[in-house]
Amino acid sequence: MKRHTRSSFAIGLSLSTAFLVIVVRAFIVRRSRYNRPGSVEDLVRRGQLRSDRRGISRPLKYEDPFNNPLVKVGKSNSTMEMCGKVYRLAPITLTKEQQTIHQKRRSRAYQWKRPTIFLKEGDLIPPDVDPDTVRWIPANHPFATTANDIDEDLAQNNVYQKQGVPFRIRAEHEALQKKLEALQNEQKLNKLVIDSSNAKDFERAFKLNPKSEEPLDQNPFVNQSGDLRPPRPDQAPNGYDSNSSSEEMQKP
Amino acid sequence: MLSLIPSPTIQFKPLFPSKTIKPLKPFSSKSSIQSVLQWNRKPELAGETPRVVVITSGKGGVGKTTTTANVGLSLARLGFSVVAIDADVGLRNLDLLLGLENRVNYTVVEVLNGDCRLDQALVRDKRWSNFELLCISKPRSKLPLGFGGKALTWVVEALKSRQEGSPDFILIDCPAGIDAGFITAITPANEAVLVTTPDITSLRDADRVTGLLECDGIRDIKMVVNRVRTDMIKGEDMMSVLDIQEMLGLALLGVIPEDSEVIRSTNRGYPLVLNKPPTLAGLAFEQAAWRLVEQDSMKAVMVEEEPKRRGFFSFFGG
Repeated sequence: MKRHTRSSFAIGLSLSTAFLVIVVRAFIVRRSRYNRPGSVEDLVRRGQLRSDRRGISRPLKYEDPFNNPLVKVGKSNSTMEMCGKVYRLAPITLTKEQQTIHQKRRSRAYQWKRPTIFLKEGDLIPPDVDPDTVRWIPANHPFATTANDIDEDLAQNNVYQKQGVPFRIRAEHEALQKKLEALQNEQKLNKLVIDSSNAKDFERAFKLNPKSEEPLDQNPFVNQSGDLRPPRPDQAPNGYDSNSSSEEMQKP
Repeated sequence: MLSLIPSPTIQFKPLFPSKTIKPLKPFSSKSSIQSVLQWNRKPELAGETPRVVVITSGKGGVGKTTTTANVGLSLARLGFSVVAIDADVGLRNLDLLLGLENRVNYTVVEVLNGDCRLDQALVRDKRWSNFELLCISKPRSKLPLGFGGKALTWVVEALKSRQEGSPDFILIDCPAGIDAGFITAITPANEAVLVTTPDITSLRDADRVTGLLECDGIRDIKMVVNRVRTDMIKGEDMMSVLDIQEMLGLALLGVIPEDSEVIRSTNRGYPLVLNKPPTLAGLAFEQAAWRLVEQDSMKAVMVEEEPKRRGFFSFFGG
């Protein structure tokens, strides 16, 4: 009998242990499933997918952020328990009169005029300028410059532009187009120059051999391919050079 | 507006009643659901739109950029359109906190030079499409100092008149100091949020900055006290929020407790107001955003007390 009870107890203990192990394993597996890497949730987290469409990040549904279910209010309504700590509400004691006193104190202590002129250290103050409105900038300031290279009207128009190609991109495009047109015109001029030299050759050929005129008349381009000159960069008109240099100056 | 928090069982009267409103059940109740619609109160926008708010402090490292990112995203989540401007010309950080650093291709300097339009320089957050970021410049680029304030004013005017409509909020993250960067950032602003921490150095700088803001004509200045340790305040090692208010004389927009989650969220590029479940600091930012929308201020602060000592029989559920 004793052996029977001992064996049944052992069987019961082993069964309960096995059941417990199964439950714990199932729980761990379920938890690890939520943390699997490479899921769509990672894409949402990285900002590649819009979270509000996927329903993972939703607008908050408190009726009031001050009425938070995580906050337990005490019976007397003056204390509350939050995250294991107890807090008491202490009312603000600042009055309008005290605020006005502070404002007056600050207006006496801090006399400040908005700087309107920025000068490098060492520059002279213009005669009609209030010295209090001058802000001195060290010459070696790493992120500051007093040189005003920007055309203000142009900059304002650039900020207010709502559609179309931005100004500098359009200007660069137009300059490039003009350059290409100029190059094409030069090529045409070069072709005309080649014709005149061919005409001289033609004259020589005419003098030397009257029968060779006809093939040259019919195919005036045959000799041109050997005489084509590559376009020279220094042949571009001066206007384009000044445009490109001014654009380089405007680059930050 | 942090008044006595009502218990969850009290029926809450809606601000905008509709015909389908039914009495609400407590949050954790799983009994039969009586209301079909999940009613959600939103803050009522006060003041003229766009509300141009500069977030400044004077002292560096107190949490301006963190406040800008978290309050901005809270406002976007409440349904308002927000444009956040990082006005730090030399050291840009707001894009890092928002996780948008790889998407900033154009800045205001490129817009001024005519390399792109203003709408091309705005970076829309894919998580909340009504939140946009605009950076003033890339690091190591130079902007003429006397020009920055004008440029930022033009940018704000252009945002007001854009085709998709004026944003509800324009938040300007001000650089540290009271130098040209500060002057640039405060130029177009109508109101200011002053971020400070409960230490004397930060308070002195905050007082100076408040004086400069008032000289420049910005009168609506509210304070956010960041990195508050209620345990140190209880042990009288740190100034309390009421002491700070007594020193500065400014209305309180929010009190943000010290939270290590701030650093983790910075590393991830995921502001902590988006965390689920929300952290204490995230809740505080959310409440500060609510008060900013309604142009309200705190009426009471939380002071830590000793926990109640439980008697022997409380172990049995008494």
